[in-house]
Amino acid sequence: MLFFKRGRVPGARSWELKTGLGKEYLKVLAQLDEALKDLDLEVKKVESQTLSDFKPGPDGEEEMRYFVRLKGTLTPKEARMTGWRIDNLAALAACMSLIVSKQGKSERKELEQIIGEKVGRWRALTLTDAFLRSGYLEEDEEGLMKIGWRTRAELDLESLMMLIAESKPKGAIVEEEPGEVSESAEPAEVEEPAEAVEAELEDQASTDG
Amino acid sequence: MAEKTGRVSGRRELEELIQTCVSIENRQFNPFLLDISEALRIIRRHAGSWKTLGDNLLDMRAITSLARVVGLQSANLRFQSSSLFVDPGMVKQKVESMSREQLAGFLLLSWHPVVELEQLTEASTKEALDYWQKMLSFFERRKRLQPGPFDSPGAMDTPELARMRVLEEKAFGRRLEDLRREMKEKIGEEGRVDYWTFVRASNFAATVLRAQMVSFLVSYGMAMLERKKEKMWLIPRDPPFSTGQGSPLSLPIPIPMEAVLPRAK
Repeated sequence: MLFFKRGRVPGARSWELKTGLGKEYLKVLAQLDEALKDLDLEVKKVESQTLSDFKPGPDGEEEMRYFVRLKGTLTPKEARMTGWRIDNLAALAACMSLIVSKQGKSERKELEQIIGEKVGRWRALTLTDAFLRSGYLEEDEEGLMKIGWRTRAELDLESLMMLIAESKPKGAIVEEEPGEVSESAEPAEVEEPAEAVEAELEDQASTDG
Repeated sequence: MAEKTGRVSGRRELEELIQTCVSIENRQFNPFLLDISEALRIIRRHAGSWKTLGDNLLDMRAITSLARVVGLQSANLRFQSSSLFVDPGMVKQKVESMSREQLAGFLLLSWHPVVELEQLTEASTKEALDYWQKMLSFFERRKRLQPGPFDSPGAMDTPELARMRVLEEKAFGRRLEDLRREMKEKIGEEGRVDYWTFVRASNFAATVLRAQMVSFLVSYGMAMLERKKEKMWLIPRDPPFSTGQGSPLSLPIPIPMEAVLPRAK
């Protein structure tokens, strides 16, 4: 139930698990979590108030959604194998750090601007749309961008904010590693067609059905 | 009279207050920029003078908006005391100063992708088969919509399809070659032609089309684009062409409406 995607969002709701596994489903989940450790996976619980598309359970009890996610983290090489480009990862990091610093909501224009500085304006537009479709971002009724269900399920925002707050500026890194080629020395950026960006996020976006 | 003027200015003040609250809710301003006690004082000052339903509704909207701002202030304080608090300005500065590799690295250290599988199961296959067997045939379903009899298939010739823009009248390569020849005819003694003189056509759509074709000529090495300060020149090349001669640079050229107007006039 947790692995197979049924509908738009993966994972299972607490009432679905209760129906399938009985009242003691939490114990089953704890055992599953223990068993998944060997595979470097874990069961992640996400509260309903942070998941706008989750409705309360049939018996009115507080709704949770459970996912299975990677327990550890990916190395850059592994991340490349999943089809994600550095640009996409950097854009998502910039996006999330800005939204979190603004208490979970930010204007779309502001997000596109901060992503655009890293990956170009045109690509920023397509990436923002892709993040929206894949559930990393959500748009509220006032048109503000907020953190989406997938971010709650996949990202350790505290760790990300800590890393960004403690980071050294690029100049400091260049000083330490004189051999490294700085960003400004890179050739003019060639923007890619929208299809390429879409394809990179296909795995995530496909969850939207 | 004075009472009426007071009501008008009171309405204006409340509307301004609501507008400020909305801007704060839309994250345009810091919620602490609004002086709540001053705002309450304004609401209280006018509360006695409201007589119509509209005025009372405005008063209620102002109080509700103010309550939302107080809520945001409270959330802001709670957030600032949490470990997630970082000043937005500082975050922007940090992100701007970091390389893409650095940012991607930080994301990877905090990223635990969800595992999800898509697969046919016995139950879902049975359900699908059941659905398929119960589904009415296409012709049965079509009858319900009452769309009338089928149109018999007709035939179209090539000029008609070209007029509908389904088919191109000329092959693309042929059109490029024609344009290169036209360019060659238009070059002056200097062996080049001004970009806008060549690209400009009688209407905007035709100009855009010519600009697009010229971009292919340059990319395929059939012409060269020379840029000197504000001026751009096109220089046609003679065969044999090779893509290696094509321009390695992308040069965005906006096409303003004014570029087309002189000829259109």
